[in-house]
Amino acid sequence: MIAKWIGKRVVMGIMVLFIISFLSFFLMHAAPGDPATAFYGGNAQLLNAAEKARIYEAFSLDRPIIQQYSAWLSETLKGNLGYSSREGRPVSIILMERFPNTLLLFSVTMSSIILGSILLGTAAGMKTGSLWDRGLSIISIATSSVPSFWLGILFISLFSVKLGILPSSGTMDIRGDGGLLDRLRHLIMPASVLILTHVGIYARFLQESIKTESRNYYVVVARANGVAEREVRKGVLRNASIPFLNYIGMTIPSFFGGSIIVESLFSWSGLGQLTVNAVVTKDFPLLMGSLLFTGLLVVVSLFLIDCMMYAVDPKLRKGGLK
Amino acid sequence: MKSRKALIFWCALLLVIVCLTVFAQFISPYGTNEMNMDRIYEEPGKNHVLGTDHLGRDVMTRLLEGGKATLSIAVVSVLMSLIIGVIYGGISGYIGGFVDVVMMRFLEALIAIPSVIIILAFQAMMQGGVWSMAFIIGITNWLVTARIVRSEFIRLREAEFVQMAKMFGTPTWKIILQHMLRNSIPAVFVVTLFNFAGAVFMEVSLSFLGIGVPPSIPSWGSMLYYAQNDILIGAWWIGVFPGLMIFATILAINFIGEALKNPERRRLNA
Repeated sequence: MIAKWIGKRVVMGIMVLFIISFLSFFLMHAAPGDPATAFYGGNAQLLNAAEKARIYEAFSLDRPIIQQYSAWLSETLKGNLGYSSREGRPVSIILMERFPNTLLLFSVTMSSIILGSILLGTAAGMKTGSLWDRGLSIISIATSSVPSFWLGILFISLFSVKLGILPSSGTMDIRGDGGLLDRLRHLIMPASVLILTHVGIYARFLQESIKTESRNYYVVVARANGVAEREVRKGVLRNASIPFLNYIGMTIPSFFGGSIIVESLFSWSGLGQLTVNAVVTKDFPLLMGSLLFTGLLVVVSLFLIDCMMYAVDPKLRKGGLK
Repeated sequence: MKSRKALIFWCALLLVIVCLTVFAQFISPYGTNEMNMDRIYEEPGKNHVLGTDHLGRDVMTRLLEGGKATLSIAVVSVLMSLIIGVIYGGISGYIGGFVDVVMMRFLEALIAIPSVIIILAFQAMMQGGVWSMAFIIGITNWLVTARIVRSEFIRLREAEFVQMAKMFGTPTWKIILQHMLRNSIPAVFVVTLFNFAGAVFMEVSLSFLGIGVPPSIPSWGSMLYYAQNDILIGAWWIGVFPGLMIFATILAINFIGEALKNPERRRLNA
């Protein structure tokens, strides 16, 4: 049963990656401008027709586009993502340099968001009619309406410019040793911006699914039979966490999108900032590589969440698949 | 009753914002791109209510004008995504069966791709003006609409009045338009509102990154793009006000959406 289930997820993930690869390849192909000229930059006007034709042949640009795509795809599968047209270094190496920073930011923010929303959401969901129960939905709508980059700007102007206690950008101090403490100091602002603008909606979702779950008959019966309140809550929380995990999975793509913007604002040298820079400088090989890599990250994190759901939800384990 | 008052308040706020941007040139005494190098980085005061920016342009004028770009991009893109979503979801929901399965799998795959990624890819290719921005946001924003339309269509397809209409030999187009589409309007409207908030968000984000509307056209996002540097020298007013406008707009839309969503949900629960 589990094999079938995993197989379905993997097929889905491959389809997502295929669409992204297709999209990025053909978009780049349709981009205005001539790849040969782009490669030679300022000296391109000096090339004559024969030389241009030779460049075309060297890069296989004279072949049909489907052949180009399949050649590109097979190289990509081998891990060769080409060379950045700006830096001349392999795209895969650049991506790997940036990846740890994104992973750090993502794991810190995502785990704090999940932890925070469990605390806030359970507090609200378990005590129906309390002040916090009614307040949370308003707070969550309000915080999720704040553009994260604007909050970032306000933070910079307060903590970096006025108070001067936190660095406004970068991942580490150039003068410093780049140790853990230094990194964490740089992490505080981007992470807290992402956490503050996101934790509300997740907490609210958990609150609502706890409420829906509490209305179920089994909860009433358990209470009537004198099951300890602690145990009842444990059961409710466990069952409410299934739609919650699903919700996290659904919102992970847009969360990635949000972190791209925050990374750029704080010059946090992760994948998001890299992608934006690649768009601005029209570094197509780098852009294609980073789009594909981000897609891979999303697929992998969705898969991890699916596995968590599998662990939590007995219906999935017992083969209650749709 | 309380939620109704809140709804009126948020609608009024949104209306005020829209009116302010539409009638911008009558409200503000300065030109949008009118520069005054003697008065750069002037703090909010008597001459300039919200201060001036790095070229001595009046922040309030640009703020009101900027709303035009932001809001019109959002409107056009939302209309576009509404049309695509209704057609896609409608076909998938009405035909059903194998077609529906394939179309939904494809949709799920698209939902898993961060839309910022698709937009970045498009934006690298097309040099953005206002219209191409609206186009790009529109073709990435229809997924949720399609999903809702599909589920509404599946629900309505089995409804008695639709079956009845079919039995009486009502033409298919009439069933789709008059019975199914019309009854999906409440649900679709709420989604469209949230899409609108999403479109505003997307435009300001892209312009903020410097890859949205060209810098010559003021928009709330591009104002924040310049504000990144201005706040470092302490000119807070350039960054604060566009953000407040964005915040107020999205807040109003979200609260309106919530207020409209709740009766719907209550009806479904009952």
